Amino acid sequence: MKSLEKLFDKLKPNFAKGGKYERWGSVFESFETFLFVPGHTTPRKGAHIRDAMDSKRLMIVVVLALMPALLFGMWNVGYQHYLSIGQDAGFMDNFIHGLIRVVPLIVVAYAAGLGTEFVFVYIKKKEIEEGFLVSGLLIPMIVPVDTPLWMVAVATIIAVIFGKEVFGGTGMNIVNPALLARAILFFAYPSKMSGDKIWVSGLDGGKTNGAGDYINTFGDKVVDVSSGATPLGQYASTIDLNTALQKATEAGDTETVTKLTADIAKTLSEVPSAWDSFIGTIPGSIGETSTAMILLGALILLFTGVANWRVMLSVVTGGALMGLIFNLIGANPYMNVPFYHHLIIGGFAFGAVFMATDPVTAAQTEKGKWIYGFLIGVIAVIVRVLNPAYPEGMMLAILLMNVFAPLIDHYVVRGNVKNRMKRIKVAA
Amino acid sequence: MQEIINIFIKSIFVDNMIFAYFLGMCSYLAVSKTVKTATGLGIAVIFVLVVTIPVNYLLENLILKKGALDWILGAEQAAEIDLSFLSFIMFIAVIASIVQLVEMIVEKFAPALYSQLGIFLPLIAVNCAILGGALFMQEREYTSIVEATSFALGSGIGWFLAIVGIAAIREKIKYSAVPAPLRGIGITFIATGIMGIAFMTFMGIKF
Repeated sequence: MKSLEKLFDKLKPNFAKGGKYERWGSVFESFETFLFVPGHTTPRKGAHIRDAMDSKRLMIVVVLALMPALLFGMWNVGYQHYLSIGQDAGFMDNFIHGLIRVVPLIVVAYAAGLGTEFVFVYIKKKEIEEGFLVSGLLIPMIVPVDTPLWMVAVATIIAVIFGKEVFGGTGMNIVNPALLARAILFFAYPSKMSGDKIWVSGLDGGKTNGAGDYINTFGDKVVDVSSGATPLGQYASTIDLNTALQKATEAGDTETVTKLTADIAKTLSEVPSAWDSFIGTIPGSIGETSTAMILLGALILLFTGVANWRVMLSVVTGGALMGLIFNLIGANPYMNVPFYHHLIIGGFAFGAVFMATDPVTAAQTEKGKWIYGFLIGVIAVIVRVLNPAYPEGMMLAILLMNVFAPLIDHYVVRGNVKNRMKRIKVAA
Repeated sequence: MQEIINIFIKSIFVDNMIFAYFLGMCSYLAVSKTVKTATGLGIAVIFVLVVTIPVNYLLENLILKKGALDWILGAEQAAEIDLSFLSFIMFIAVIASIVQLVEMIVEKFAPALYSQLGIFLPLIAVNCAILGGALFMQEREYTSIVEATSFALGSGIGWFLAIVGIAAIREKIKYSAVPAPLRGIGITFIATGIMGIAFMTFMGIKF
């Protein structure tokens, strides 16, 4: 580190004003401040106000809060992999397999995103902003483990350019760049983003050999091909079965009715228990499976005051309430899913804790935060239950509310202005 | 009843005029600088849609459609008459006259809004969302005037949501460091695209 610092100090004059590489000055400075404390900090003596929470430290806290979910996610990737090929691997084997699969995703996301940011730093001649530190880690955590690396790179670059840089960079974006990247992947490459094969390492792209065995991309024989379905996928598949069942009932086809009823019961019985979903030993996107670890991250965020508790609470309330309403209607098996189960499967907890609370894209007013969060929860559960095309509604619900957050704020502010005007009139 | 609610919700979210069909973009882009004017124009569009589509529905089903004239000429003769080639001009005539009416009402009761909306108020007459609504009504063959009205109300509210949504975003990013070439219309197009992705949430939803 010392020698690196010396090297930077030696190179510095070249990039200063009038130096040889003046044009690259902003890029150089970005690298320097990324690695070292900038030289122009507040002096230790004197009555200066030192900001306790600059954006760099804010981002580091979020990255720390993401760590439990990420590490568990790595272990779970290995666990699901060895489960699918029927081997009993130790803790370290699981973790190392996950590490090998997940680290490339992280590296690619950071490289693609930071590369794009550096291009913009060079064009705009401004210092680099730290915003991507979190987004770059969020993106690998919300994609399936088998996502091809180039797709991650493409989606990251598009999201950084059109979600963030064109709006003026960190702090000025209207949607969460990580979510936008996920949405772009979802709509551009749907076959790699949904289904039963993508959630378990190596399962996607495998082949069936002559003997009828399914061989995964690592060349191992897969014992249980159906093991890769997520709880959301399993629940969603009951919708179609139920529609078919209703048709068969109307037609009076008793044979099909018995078969479909049995199918639905079988699918529902295969859904992992609430406890497994809470701990996270289920297939799913890398970081989203373990509600327990996400809660740990939430504690860090709340304790340090980085994330807003109002948003988290209202998202959970909205989701639970909508789940309860569906329980009361109970028109199909999916509607009968207990409301608390919605909160622990899929990306609900991850979205509520790490995505919805993004201070830039969430509503800015206190009252607005309640409305914003509540609607996220409600829409997420509505999309899950009523839209068989999208098994997961959390991503899209947050994206939609990101877009409408300024409008919510606008009306909240208008309302406040109106109230105060009334008070003035009463006083007068 | 369920069918009517279904049409209503579908036309707000799934078949949103702006985000699914990109209709009525010109006034959507031009009048979305502040939420206040956007609200005014949005309400005007809702009103015009709700009035014109049922009127056009009656026109379509009593005069223009093949065999629609049977209430005058009797079924046998009417079956040969198909006036649907006139639908464009008839729909536009209805829309233009109703927009005239709206203009007079707005000028009388909200002069401030009238001056803010400027040329875009009379231009509702050629707003593609309005004619588009009438043509969708024709194409989708709604079975009753209630269905057509609920479609009109839904489309109007969808358009309203879109324009106030983008207006709030534009107010928010007014002071952002948007690159100079993209300021104004450019960034609005990009934001609209992102809103379109967000609205895909509802695609394929079944009630």
